[in-house]
Amino acid sequence: MGIDHRKINRLLQKLRSHPYCVYAIETPHTGYLRSFRVKEGSEVQPGEILFLLERERNLKPVKSRVSGRVQRLRQDLLDRFVEAGEPILEIWHPLSQEEVISEILQEALQVLRAPETARYLPSPEIEARLRKDGPGKALVHPGEDLLIMTFMKRETPIRHEGPPAVIYRVFFDPQEVVPAGNPLLGLCSPEEVPYIDRVLARIREEWPEQ
Amino acid sequence: MKERLLIANRGEIALRIMEACEELGLDYVVVYTRADEESLHVRRARRKFRIADYRDPNEILAVADEAGCTAVHPGYGFLAEDFRFARRVVKRSRPLIFVGPRWEVIRDLGSKLNVKRLAREMGIPVIPGTIEPLYNEIEAEAKAEELFQWLVENGEPEPRLLIKASAGGGGMGIEEVRELDEVRPIFRRVRAYAKRLFGDEGVVIEAKLSCFQHLEVQILGNQHGELVHFGTRNCTIQSPGRQKRVELAPGFDPAYLTYGFSPEKVLEEIINHSLKMAEAVGYDSVGTWEWLVTPEGRAYLMEVNTRIQVENEISARISRIRRRPVNLIREQIRMALGEKLGYTQRDITFQGTAIELRLVAEDTRRNFRPLSGTITRFQYPRYPWLTVRTHVPEDRPYTIPTEYDPNLALLIVWGEDTPRALERAHRALEEMILEGHTSGGGPLHSNVPYLREKLKEVYRFPV
Amino acid sequence: MSEIYRELTDLWERAVYLRDIKGEDWENISELVKVLEDLRRDFYERPSADLEKRLPGFQSRILELEDLAARTLTPYEVVRIVRHPQRFTLLDILENVYDRYTELGGEGEINIDPAVVVARAMISRRVGDKVYLHQVMVIGHEKGHGEEFREGGSAKPWGNEKALRYMKIAETEGIPIHFYIFTPGAYPIEDYPGAAQQIARNLYTMAKLKVPMVAFISEGGSGGAEAIGLADMRLMASRGYYSVISPEGAAAIEAKLKSGRPPRELVERCARNLRLTAEDNLRLGTIDRIVPEPPLGARRRDYAFFRRLRYEMIRATDEVVLQTRSLRTFRKYVLSRRNGSEVPEDFGIYVNWELSEDEKEILLENRSRKYREMSRWAICGRVSRLQSYLEKGQDLGTRMFHGLRHGIFRQSQKALRRMFEEFTQEGSAFLKPVTDPVKTVYNLVAGRKKKVPRIVSPIERIEEPEDIYVSPLALEDRTVTCPNAETHGCPDLWVPDLYGEFCGVCPNCGHHFPLEYQWYLNNIFDRGSIREFNEEISSGNPLNFEGYAEKLAEARKKTGRNSAMLTFEAKIGGISLIVAMLIADFRQGTVGVAEGEKFIRACDRARVTRRPFLALVHTTGGIRIHEGTLGVVQMPRCTLAAREYIDSGGLYIVVYDNNSYAGPVASFLGCSPYQFALRSTRLGFAGPRVILETTGQPVPPDYHSAENALRRGHIQGVWDRRELRLKLYEALLTMGGRNLYYR
Repeated sequence: MGIDHRKINRLLQKLRSHPYCVYAIETPHTGYLRSFRVKEGSEVQPGEILFLLERERNLKPVKSRVSGRVQRLRQDLLDRFVEAGEPILEIWHPLSQEEVISEILQEALQVLRAPETARYLPSPEIEARLRKDGPGKALVHPGEDLLIMTFMKRETPIRHEGPPAVIYRVFFDPQEVVPAGNPLLGLCSPEEVPYIDRVLARIREEWPEQ
Repeated sequence: MKERLLIANRGEIALRIMEACEELGLDYVVVYTRADEESLHVRRARRKFRIADYRDPNEILAVADEAGCTAVHPGYGFLAEDFRFARRVVKRSRPLIFVGPRWEVIRDLGSKLNVKRLAREMGIPVIPGTIEPLYNEIEAEAKAEELFQWLVENGEPEPRLLIKASAGGGGMGIEEVRELDEVRPIFRRVRAYAKRLFGDEGVVIEAKLSCFQHLEVQILGNQHGELVHFGTRNCTIQSPGRQKRVELAPGFDPAYLTYGFSPEKVLEEIINHSLKMAEAVGYDSVGTWEWLVTPEGRAYLMEVNTRIQVENEISARISRIRRRPVNLIREQIRMALGEKLGYTQRDITFQGTAIELRLVAEDTRRNFRPLSGTITRFQYPRYPWLTVRTHVPEDRPYTIPTEYDPNLALLIVWGEDTPRALERAHRALEEMILEGHTSGGGPLHSNVPYLREKLKEVYRFPV
Repeated sequence: MSEIYRELTDLWERAVYLRDIKGEDWENISELVKVLEDLRRDFYERPSADLEKRLPGFQSRILELEDLAARTLTPYEVVRIVRHPQRFTLLDILENVYDRYTELGGEGEINIDPAVVVARAMISRRVGDKVYLHQVMVIGHEKGHGEEFREGGSAKPWGNEKALRYMKIAETEGIPIHFYIFTPGAYPIEDYPGAAQQIARNLYTMAKLKVPMVAFISEGGSGGAEAIGLADMRLMASRGYYSVISPEGAAAIEAKLKSGRPPRELVERCARNLRLTAEDNLRLGTIDRIVPEPPLGARRRDYAFFRRLRYEMIRATDEVVLQTRSLRTFRKYVLSRRNGSEVPEDFGIYVNWELSEDEKEILLENRSRKYREMSRWAICGRVSRLQSYLEKGQDLGTRMFHGLRHGIFRQSQKALRRMFEEFTQEGSAFLKPVTDPVKTVYNLVAGRKKKVPRIVSPIERIEEPEDIYVSPLALEDRTVTCPNAETHGCPDLWVPDLYGEFCGVCPNCGHHFPLEYQWYLNNIFDRGSIREFNEEISSGNPLNFEGYAEKLAEARKKTGRNSAMLTFEAKIGGISLIVAMLIADFRQGTVGVAEGEKFIRACDRARVTRRPFLALVHTTGGIRIHEGTLGVVQMPRCTLAAREYIDSGGLYIVVYDNNSYAGPVASFLGCSPYQFALRSTRLGFAGPRVILETTGQPVPPDYHSAENALRRGHIQGVWDRRELRLKLYEALLTMGGRNLYYR
């Protein structure tokens, strides 16, 4: 596998200069953009109404799903007919320490993604190891069952292929259904652990807990 | 006032409607979704609006108002046979012309049971079965026994029944029954399924015909009570999911193949019956009456499609109005705008055989599983006897959207007779180039080999 | 020395009590309390002679104040007396009124519900020099003297279930029941099977319980009181209160408060308006007799009061028993009553409380008559005498007609039915051809028209536009967003479709949008089959509740109706039935005297004409507070009528929708064996706000959902509005007793 240090550094640099996740808010469908409930630069919370879109005499509030600052608000579209999927504004969501770490880890580690939208559980051995050694130390060997996927009432084991690896991060919650393609586990080779530890330590210093 | 048409559909049908509008000198507006941005129908149109979903009437109507449209053409699929949409289009505070039959007609002929009931009243033969939804097992069993008896009397070696959800459609909620003892459990299962899926427990039972040809009659009517037909089609070759793959016009070709019955007589019979029903309901647009014909030459009305169909062009191809070519979509729009036919049945003549081949990205060896991916090379030959209807560009790669049917192109081939048409069909398939890869990286399959294989079976009853 | 201290303490306690009842600002009482308190504290520091000299002055002052307090006692102060921790409780009564008792299922806090106490007890009477012991079942609320685990006497559903269980035991053993009502109201939780459902079950059972029952009310908090209140004789403490709602609750509603405390002045006014005192209730006829207390209420050591109470309980039980026997003995007995302040030691007569089978029947008849008569005087807009005479005549006519039709011909009908059944057993294969003619003949002979049910499909409904009902909501060209759009991806709905053929239901997720009551009238019953009756019975203002008359006039003007209850005859698929419907438009479907009376009359009509009976709840907000306990007694009254209907072999179906809460659900609606709720129903006893205020715990948003009501076993099914007609039709065919006209 091998870690691309340059790539991680680039990403870190990018996050440092731009510590945001930018969510482009688009119109869910066509209609007249009737009014803005936020201004350029205002801070919004999840669930806050951003703007009102009227289609077939139905005034529909479009709400924010994340917190952050409103940018690039398209004031020029006010009271005009807009198409579906038209970008209306951006929400610059400041990344928390956890979110930055998760972002970096998804880049740095070898990520195992959910093959199906299903529920996942660590296999009993892995769970025991995770409990005993903790993430970042639990080793998994080739051919071992990593996870058990519960899908359409059937349990399918997910096997670890490739060289021995350390489970550095668990991205999912066993209580919840994981959509297909979402990250499940982050793996790396045992030699890379100290390096990743160092990267994370740096992040923890640079991004204070909010 | 100049009419402006909103084309509420995608792909090749949108292109054909655009073409018809251009021929008629009408303005038109196109809608599209983000997934279709590369489609030819979007690239070709001057006025276009991006919408969230073709199935959402609110999107269509919001755009129609904004663009100042006066009429809506629903194409096929999506909202084409939704009588509520048709009703809303004409009943809203800013009414539009609906290019299609009156909404009452869509509603009444949209229900298979209703069509059966109407047919029975008019003495038109239908496949034996219930004409009212059944709700209890005892009635179902009594009916099933009656139907088994009928099948045996009609020489059916392996009599089968179909138990269906009366609210269902498109192959959903249908189960087969081989013997009387199965009726009760299967009836209950279908009833529960129907309740869950359609919110209505009604169930119908029908005799299953094992061997038949699927024929269609193309009808055109208008608000002035004029009614003509454009002959028949044969759509027997279908995928296991009952989706048509090869269609021919006319419905039978006695010069190509003979049967144990008189094909001319059967065609005449189904045309007359179809016209009779169209007249009875005041049919006022293009429409198709679908029939099943048994090897004994018995014809049963199956259902009515109150829309323009994919395969309309093969009927147009073999037809001439006073020796001039026909475009059924153009005729449909003209009728919707209130025009008169300007010709009668006597002015319509037929010549030759037309074949439509539906090119689909599907894995025919794996139960016709639809495929998605990117088409990297797509080319088709140009001949006067060949029309290709497609929204796939030849000049750049095209990614097949995953949310719609993976139909790629329609090849419409004409020949002076059936053997000539078949030969040309083979040639067209051979000369066309389709290359690409699936999203997984493997080669993109299409159903070309399947189509080639199936051309051998045209007009023949399966053995 | 200690004598003086004791007296001082006594004076101090009386002053504190006065302050608690009359308020801190009354007649400088707080100062007096403080002076006495100081004296008590410094008792040993001061010379006792000095104190001794001052005591008589304090004594006369307190006496004077007590006298003044009693004379100026307001209804709200009565409520305070009742709530005072010094007031006697059920355990005090068990100690002092009964001679021996064994508490069942309770040891203080160790109890399934410490708010409800059940005891097997003995009560004695002296006749000459003989002492007779009577066995009784005592069931009541225990407030405790400030014990928190008693929840102030608010019974939980399982507490009321315990009460019900021992009522049945009493019936088995044939001993009378003495109920003691000390509750501010039922504990408003919906845990299995729900507060409302349990109260309804209790009422349903009590309606026909075959033992004498006497209830004594100290604190009669609405539905909670009725759970053990449907008795043959209802006594009330002279300083008790019996009310539809607490004065604070009424004030919050009147002031339209969402939270916080209503102003004191409004609370006082509401207490006055609610007519909740013993005198008021006696005048209203919701109780039978008052048991006198000391002027400022009896406290836990008022032994004279307990003597009085014993006398009254025994006499009340005697009277209930004697009324089932000869009228003459009963009259004589009533005349022997002593009303003086002193209670005689010797009863002079012994009455055996055991009833024979015949006497039990009379007992039930008496009970039925008593409750049917209750609150009738308050009915407004009664039909003229001539009209009622005609109605009576008609009633007699229908009764005879139906009797003839279903009674006398029954023999031959049975024989026919048997023959018919034998035919059908031949096997279902030839069902249609063989049985059809037979069925027709059978129907002909039995005088019954066979009607094929016509379930109107949505499509058919539009086909005949002339007489199709169109919801006023559907007349707009616009769309609405389904509330579940975000989670279920529902498309926006075009209003004419939604309120037209979608029946107000989102076709994608099944969310039910609210619809006006007229929609139900026009879409559930056969077209043109509705015949309303008793429309003229109208809500009045029997308590002269301030401002209520105006509200009623407004409701009348808005709806063109006289009450929130519609009663009518109608048909579903050709089956004729009687329907009682509560509508939201008139005072939120609350129930008062008029609504109750209409319900009872509809019940009786269904019974006499042997028709199925449907209660359709468009919405009910509970008992209408402006009619006070006259509204509350509609709970036992209507439950009794419903029980009598069910017992006579009918089919009583209840269908809920929208907000269905409180009293009606906890009685005549909740007692039906066949209750169904539309998906849009919020069903329960008290709304989320009341629950939060009472229990201090917020409830989840879906707490009152139909699905949860089904889970708790309150209802028997959740229905979809689109299928309501079909479901009702199926229910009519498959459920119910033997005496339906079409059975």
